[in-house]
Amino acid sequence: VKIFQVALGILAAIGGFVDIGDLVFNVSAGATFGYQLLWVVVIGVVGITVYSEMCGRVAAISGKAVFDAVRERLGFKVGLTTLIAAQVVNLMTLTAEVGGVAICLQLLSGLPYRWLIVLAGIAIAVVVWVTSFDWIERIFGYGGLCLLVFAVAAVKLHPVWGAVGHGFVPHIQTESPLLYAYFAVGLLGAAMTPYEVYFYSSGAVEEQWGPKDLGLNKANAMIGYGLGGFLSFALMIVGGSLFLDKGIEPEFLGSIAVGAEVPLGQIGLLLAIVGILFAVGGAAIDTLFSGAYNLAQFFGWEWGRYRAQTGAPRFTLTWIVLLVLAVGAVMTGVDPVQLTEYAVIFSAVALPLTYIPILLVANDRSYMREYANGRLANTLGLIYLAVIVVISLTAVPLLILTNVGQN
Amino acid sequence: LSETIDLGLRIVDRQLIDSEDRRCGKVDDLALEGGPGEALEVVAILSGPDVWRARAGLVGRVAAWLGGGGRVRVPWDEVAGVDAHVKLRKRAQELGLGRGDDRLRPFIEKIPDADR
Repeated sequence: VKIFQVALGILAAIGGFVDIGDLVFNVSAGATFGYQLLWVVVIGVVGITVYSEMCGRVAAISGKAVFDAVRERLGFKVGLTTLIAAQVVNLMTLTAEVGGVAICLQLLSGLPYRWLIVLAGIAIAVVVWVTSFDWIERIFGYGGLCLLVFAVAAVKLHPVWGAVGHGFVPHIQTESPLLYAYFAVGLLGAAMTPYEVYFYSSGAVEEQWGPKDLGLNKANAMIGYGLGGFLSFALMIVGGSLFLDKGIEPEFLGSIAVGAEVPLGQIGLLLAIVGILFAVGGAAIDTLFSGAYNLAQFFGWEWGRYRAQTGAPRFTLTWIVLLVLAVGAVMTGVDPVQLTEYAVIFSAVALPLTYIPILLVANDRSYMREYANGRLANTLGLIYLAVIVVISLTAVPLLILTNVGQN
Repeated sequence: LSETIDLGLRIVDRQLIDSEDRRCGKVDDLALEGGPGEALEVVAILSGPDVWRARAGLVGRVAAWLGGGGRVRVPWDEVAGVDAHVKLRKRAQELGLGRGDDRLRPFIEKIPDADR
């Protein structure tokens, strides 16, 4: 039974790994550079695995979620700045995901976009209000598995497998190295989306993980994200096989779905849109809760979905307000795909601020005891600290120099 | 609590947990007592938006204003223990903590199905 549960959790994690940032950056990277940037996805996936495993372990042993650690290690002042940066990026991401849900609903129904934005907001609120955490995870995780249609599409498009293999070897073969660097940073940012660890670590505290859950934590992080990474490969291969030579930039979520329609027909298109709907919808709920978790953890309020809405009133009010803000922002007509690019790039900028406190806490033997970082976790942790600092410093200059990846 | 501990790292900014395992604020600051030449002694935990003013300049003042002000002083005797969090001996209500949640609760309760 236990193994079955773990397997279910992992299935849900695969479906839950991909969000609008991964969809946009992987397919665009494929459309622009073919399979050349596949190696960057590997680095990103290993990065989120390392980071998540640490966050899950800290949560299991100390009962601290990410923003507890931020507050504790950075203090009130720097911590507050971190909180504000994280919340701004989180709201941008939430807005993009809510917009993505509305776009998918429009592709499926043909109804007016504006109504569907409101419908998306209401649907998310109702699902969050009445459904248990387990079921939210299952519904959206399994629904997101429809994205596996992109793996089938990737094979059916008959890519030159030698070229795909070559993509896993780091190399630069382009006349626009800046654009290449921009996409590399974007892919890393999309893979290492911070809300995933805010959500993950808070979930671990909610489920009252202890030392006995560390195996599950490792399995979730390694297998879940690892296989989730496969979906990213598939998306990039589809982008590279289909759009590269045509000079087409997939600017709409609909054109990403076309990637499955071309080789697989109508059923491919339908599965792709449904998969995107659930992936983006699940990510909307994750970001929504992450925003509320962060605020509550920083200020010490009661938080958690398991306490019922009345058990954590300020937490509940926070997510309601965030959802209203996001729906309002989508209503202004902002393009969710364009917003996604900014959200991913800015999340890369803010990444070290939440990563460093976790690295420090994971090394604190006073309460991590024998579960503190070992040599492997610290070596990887430090390597990724360097990676994260580099992408954090180069993200905005690259955004400006490449005109948001347009040149 | 007899061993020496680094107050800044081990106590300040930790989560306060009441006797019923409810989260009820952070250790925003400590009150120390002791005259010249005497040993300093921690006498109370300070928690609440008004404490932030002194800790974060302009942003701190804005946050304190948004948070509605207020400051609670929890005598050190009420601390049951310190591990990853700071555990208190009494219920949050008795200590005057967690009032923001208590004030908001009646409004959230009005929404149907709020207690599931």
